[in-house]
Parts: sequence; structure tokens; C-alpha cells
Amino acid sequence: MLNEIILHPGEHREIILLNEPDTNWHIIQEANSTLLLYVIALPHPNDEVQWHTAITVEHKATGCKTEMYGLALLHSQQQHHLTTRVLHNVGGGYSSQLFKFVLDDESKASFKGELKIMPDAQQVEAYQTNRNILLSRQAEMTTEPQLEIYADDVKASHGATTGQLDDSALFYMQQRCISRETARKLLLCAFFEDVLRTLPNEQMQEDIVEKINEYIG
Amino acid sequence: MLEIKNLHASIAGKEILKGLNLTVHEGEVHAIMGPNGAGKSTLSNVLTGHPAYTVTAGEVFFRGKNLLTMSPEERAREGMFLSFQYPVEIPGVSMVNFMRTAVNEKRKHEGKPALSATDFLKLMREKKALVGMDNRLTKRSVNEGFSGGEKKRNEIFQMAMLEPCLSILDETDSGLDIDALRIVAEGVNALKTPHTASIVITHYQRLLDYIVPDFVHVLADGKIVRTGGKELALELEDKGYAFLNEKP
Ligand SMILES: Nc1ncnc2c1ncn2[C@@H]1O[C@H](COP(=O)(O)OP(=O)(O)O)[C@@H](O)[C@H]1O
Ligand SMILES: [Mg+2]
Repeated sequence: MLNEIILHPGEHREIILLNEPDTNWHIIQEANSTLLLYVIALPHPNDEVQWHTAITVEHKATGCKTEMYGLALLHSQQQHHLTTRVLHNVGGGYSSQLFKFVLDDESKASFKGELKIMPDAQQVEAYQTNRNILLSRQAEMTTEPQLEIYADDVKASHGATTGQLDDSALFYMQQRCISRETARKLLLCAFFEDVLRTLPNEQMQEDIVEKINEYIG
Repeated sequence: MLEIKNLHASIAGKEILKGLNLTVHEGEVHAIMGPNGAGKSTLSNVLTGHPAYTVTAGEVFFRGKNLLTMSPEERAREGMFLSFQYPVEIPGVSMVNFMRTAVNEKRKHEGKPALSATDFLKLMREKKALVGMDNRLTKRSVNEGFSGGEKKRNEIFQMAMLEPCLSILDETDSGLDIDALRIVAEGVNALKTPHTASIVITHYQRLLDYIVPDFVHVLADGKIVRTGGKELALELEDKGYAFLNEKP
């Protein structure tokens, strides 16, 4: 399903995709519009569910701001494949992306992030971060950042890491009477913290934390 | 309280503890000194159940129970506390959430109800005052961005919160200036009761000026090679570990 959206000058839009099946979004931002978008995949009863999410954001005029966040906790044979394309066609825009995946069992996920800053798009700030934790040896994460920067007066960065839960932190917490399961919950919530705290809706923050706790618990 | 018999333990296939014996009774303070690499931190880690170490022989009883079959959290809930030589930073986990979880897990184990938010905050305030812990620090994530001294003080703060019956202090004094050292030692002394015991691992005599040990042991090459009273610490300070090689 293709969703085409135009954000009119000065418009602010929040989009939250929560366990949303295959979607393809094309969002065009006019001058001074702001977009806050979330892609969230939480533990799901269907062990083999696959989500394919593609999001294209285009800055058509100056002064646009885009913030995209994502968190995913996958298990069993679930898959989540996320592609983002952010196109800075004009100068003076801002975009940031922070996507965090936690993969358990034999789940698989990928993040492809295309970030393009066109030659005339000076004074753009564009950031992309992807952090992942694998809870099992069979889980697989693929990250493909793709930066194409044709303007010279820009601030842009990207980073991607994939690791495990910190064993020394788990032991430290166990030494403080905390069970290993609870310690894992605390670390996972801590891992998602910088995404969770940006959520505009506090109830949603709590619901997500509860889902994570239920899963580990 | 603690009885260690002929303990052998290894890490990564390398034997570090080679037949260690030690008995600690209620009310006692034991100091363990010894050269770098002797196995002092290994002993702390093995006693608290660190998964990287394998016990290859020997037995350990803690409050009459077989310690070695217990999980790390069970050992902690039974009252064993380690002040880590290198406390771990846990970004994103707040000190308050961490401490509340820890204290309530211990209370649950003791059959006590969880503390109310008010009582918990009152306890935090009281223990912060006891160890001179800065308010600023308990508002942050666990140990995140703390200086070396602040981390050590945080260990003693956690010890005060959990009121263990056996505390193992692994070089809690290293990296502390003399004022911080005194505050930490005063905290430790204030928590001492006739029913608690401590094992104080240190390189320096100076901590033992403040926390006076009943026994001083020298750990070298994975064994206790000498045991004495507090005067042994002075002798070590004076002559170094080399004199141990001379036959007494
Ligand atoms: N992860 C490890 N793998 C292999 N050897 C280790 C490991 N950790 C510690 N050791 C070795 O164990 C010995 C004892 O270390 P430790 O218990 O830390 O000594 P101490 O605390 O007395 O200075 C040292 O020789 C050290 O190199
Ligand atoms: Mg050590």
C-alpha cells in the first residue's frame, strides 16, 4: 500500500506506525513543515510475521525538519525490513533518524538508509543512527547506510553498531540482588530509552515498556 | 558465616586459585593483601558467582548453605555484597530505579513487603547522608560519568542500602584521596554490627588505619600464604611482599 502525503507549509505531522504490516510512505515536505515519524515493531503472536516498511521523505522547500525514530523487538522467525530515503533537495533543512532493533531467536532485520543531499542543498543537517542488539546467536541484522552528499556546507553523520547485552552490567545487577531476567529487562528498556523518551504520548511509552517487560518476563 | 575449603578456580583454562582456605565468623574484619595478579579479585568474583570462572575443586559454605550451587542473585539476596574493584556503568538505568529494584528484590527474599515510594526515598536520603553521597549522583544513570572516587563511594552507598551480612571490598580504597577514604571507611564502620563481617582487599596499610582488621591474610599465587593480626599489614608495608619468601 502506497501512502502519499504532502505536508503543507508550516504543517506539523506525527505518524506512528505500530506493528503496521507492509507499508510504503512517500512524504513530501513543503517549507517549514515538520514531521515526527515512528516505526515500532513489538512482540507479536505471529511467529513468522514479516514487516516491510519503506519511507521516503523529500524536502521540497527550505526550513523543513524531519525526525524519525524506530524500535523493534523481534523473536522466533519474525522479520522486519526497513528502508528509509531522505532527500534534501533544498538547503536549510534538518533530518535525524534513530533506529534501534533487538533481535531474539532466529529473527532477522535489515535497515537500509539512503540519505541524499543535493548540490544546492547547503546548510543542511542530517543524521542517521542505527543500533542493534542480538539476543541470540541465530539472529541476524543487516545494516546498509548509503550517504550521497553533493553539497559542501553541510553537517551529516551516520553510525551503525550491532552488539550484545552487556554481560558485565548483567552481573553487576545480579550482584545487587536483581534476577537475570529483570536485569535484562532493565537493560533493554535502557537501550530503547532514547527513543521512548521522545514519544509524544506518555501512555504509549508505558504500554511499550510493558510489552517489552512481558516479553522478557 | 563463610567457610572456604581448598578452593581451586580457573578462568579461560588457567588455574588462578590453588587451594585457598579461609573462615570468617560474624563480627570479624579480615584484610586480604597481596601482590597484583595474586588472585584477589578472582576470589571476589568466584565468591559472588561470576560466570566466567570455573570452580574446579573445593567447597564454600555461606551461612550454612552451599554457596557454589547458588546463582549470583541468590548469593546477593542471602547477604553477600561485593564492592567492585571496577564498578560498571549502566547508561539508561537510573540509580533510583536500580536501587529500588535491588532493595525490593532483597526484601522479597526476606519475606518483607516492597517499600512504598515514600519509605524508599526516605531510606535513600538517610543512606546518602551516611556515606556523603552527592544528590547529583543519585539522579543519574548507574555510575555513568562518575569519577573513580564517586564510583567507589556509590559502592558503599549501595552497601548501606542493602545492609549485607558479608561485605567484600575489592580495593575500594584505590583511587580515593584521604578525605574520601575516611568517609568510605566511616561508612563501612557505621554499618558494622556484631552479626556482619567484612573482607577488605587492599594494597595499602592506610585503609586499615580506619577499618581495623581482626586478621590480615596474604594471598600469593592463589593461596593464603600467611595470616596474622593487624601488625602483619604494617610489616608488609615496611618490607614489601618479598620477605614472605624468607622462611619465618
Ligand atoms: N579473563 C581472564 N582471562 C585470563 N586470565 C585472567 C583473566 N582475568 C584475570 N586473569 C588472570 O588471573 C590472575 C589473577 O587476577 P586477579 O584476581 O585480578 O588478581 P588481583 O586482584 O590479585 O590483582 C592474573 O594473572 C590475571 O592475569
Ligand atoms: Mg584485583
